[in-house]
Amino acid sequence: MKLLNKANYIYLLFSLVIYLLSALAFYQVTRFLIYDEVESRLRVEKRDFEAYVRTHHDWSSSPYFVENKIVVTPVSQRTQPPPEAFSDTLILNRYDNELIPFRQLTFYEPVDGVMHRVAIRKSLIQTYRLLEAITATMVLFLGMLLLGTFWFQSRLSGRLWQPFYDTLATIKRFDLSSTLPLQLPQPAITEFSELNDVLRKMADKMQHDYHSLKEFTENASHEMQTPLALINAKVEQLIQTEQLTATQTHWIDSIYEASRRIARLNQGLLLLAKIENHQFIDVHPVNLSAELRQRLLDMDEVLLHKQIRVSEEPGADFQVLLPPFLAESLLSNLVSNAIRHNHPGGFIQVRSSASQLQLCNSGPSLHTAPESLFQRFRKEGNSHESVGLGLAIVRQICDTYHLMVTYQYAEGLHTLTLAGRE
Amino acid sequence: MKVLVVEDERGLAESITDYMTKEEYICETAATFREADEKIHLYQYDCIIVDLTLPDGSGLHLIQTLKQLVATTGIIIISARNSLEDKLKGLEIGSDDYLTKPFHLSELNARVKSLLRRRQFGGHNELRFHEITVVPHARRVYVNEQLTTLSRKEYDLLLYFLSNTDVVLTKASIAEHLWGDNIDSADSFDMVYSHIKNLRRKLLDKGAADYVQSVYGIGYKFGSL
Repeated sequence: MKLLNKANYIYLLFSLVIYLLSALAFYQVTRFLIYDEVESRLRVEKRDFEAYVRTHHDWSSSPYFVENKIVVTPVSQRTQPPPEAFSDTLILNRYDNELIPFRQLTFYEPVDGVMHRVAIRKSLIQTYRLLEAITATMVLFLGMLLLGTFWFQSRLSGRLWQPFYDTLATIKRFDLSSTLPLQLPQPAITEFSELNDVLRKMADKMQHDYHSLKEFTENASHEMQTPLALINAKVEQLIQTEQLTATQTHWIDSIYEASRRIARLNQGLLLLAKIENHQFIDVHPVNLSAELRQRLLDMDEVLLHKQIRVSEEPGADFQVLLPPFLAESLLSNLVSNAIRHNHPGGFIQVRSSASQLQLCNSGPSLHTAPESLFQRFRKEGNSHESVGLGLAIVRQICDTYHLMVTYQYAEGLHTLTLAGRE
Repeated sequence: MKVLVVEDERGLAESITDYMTKEEYICETAATFREADEKIHLYQYDCIIVDLTLPDGSGLHLIQTLKQLVATTGIIIISARNSLEDKLKGLEIGSDDYLTKPFHLSELNARVKSLLRRRQFGGHNELRFHEITVVPHARRVYVNEQLTTLSRKEYDLLLYFLSNTDVVLTKASIAEHLWGDNIDSADSFDMVYSHIKNLRRKLLDKGAADYVQSVYGIGYKFGSL
């Protein structure tokens, strides 16, 4: 729900409640005033009646007239007469056959020594009309006011919030990795102007951090390569020494192996960081199926060495858009993976179609959960060869370049599938 | 042969110089851009080995300057940057080779030698080691004047050995020289072993002495007995 709609909705609901309550209160107040007026007039008439009875000791009037009628009826005297009381009553209009509301004052008065019940009435018909007219007018005007303010409010707030929506649209288009700073207008309203200032500062900071982090990752990796080169060089010099014992050589070999692993790890992490930072932009159409075939041909010596057979089911070629360097990295990681986790005398199968490319290999079943297969530093077994980044790189490339990679295992067959993502 | 090593990491420059000096090259070093710039203006080198990231400038500018001064000097870039653009850029402005750090000294040495061979004799020279003769441009190997047929990998292996005689070559450096760094070392070490075994047998069959020695499982040495 949009902010403006929400605000209008709440406003409408609130004013409706307020209007209803005020209409009710208004009705009650008017009614109270009218009753008050009628009742005070009835009291005056009661005083007139009393004065009349005191002077004349008698009361007679025709019971014919309905309006301003005073009904006097004798009552038995035994009981204590109740105090005077007002009540509403309806009396049938004999011409219209309509019930007409009356206010009635009932009291007890001795007339000529005999207790009589006296009821004085006044018609409420005009006052009711008045009340109806007032109520109707009020409802009408309040309704119009309500609708009017609602319309005005939505127009006004739409205009007031415009800078906010402009800002929102600009932020949506903002690209963190670009070198262009965030361009926001300077609206006249203080809050929006402050908001834009804050956003601009935040964006600048984010951009700066992003670029420095990117640089840092790269520089850190590069700076690491030089000491590693130094270690390698010194090891190579050290092993030229004639007097080395077998144990010493073994130690040196361990140092050498470890430094080579760090170098591989470092290169893997650097590549991942570069892909994450979208530093490879020049995508080209790549025939992955053909490249995979070539990759397997390049590895024929290793395949022969491990006695792994390669077979391919005929099918259409799988074409994708990828930076060539990453296409190569993707395939070499997949092929290395298929060879590494194979067993001697195993096989590799390639299935290619226009929509996907499958690489299946025989091999022992996984020890780890298949979902974690694409995580960084996830290694099957205690292999010292692998640094555990290969499939993470594959996943990262796929995620960044609209591809999907999935893993299935069935009956000793590991299958990695590359497919386009919708 | 005069070689200039432009590298700001002293220890690394020292190692390269030591290794090269053994190969009877005259080696000089420069640790900064200014120093290197001065040297290439003053002296002539057959080959320079340049690090791209120097504290006071880029190795690429140095290469551009050098190309204007002496076009024949061989140039090998050693860089921590392993990006395709850097490699292409380096080759575009006239460098002959590009090595990514960390590299093997033996590999650097082999590349320098191969570069100098191409530069100085157009590749039309022969490599001789006692009774073994290699003719690089024809990819032929003779032992005691007899043609010896080697596989592609065996030939590469022999050439690598001949570029680095009398030094211990690690298995990893041999494997990387033959296959690049895309294969697992366990597999490649086995394959190195079998290629060395075959090469040795072929050379022995033609009457060559056994020059290949295994060094404590860390590597192999090809040299005079």
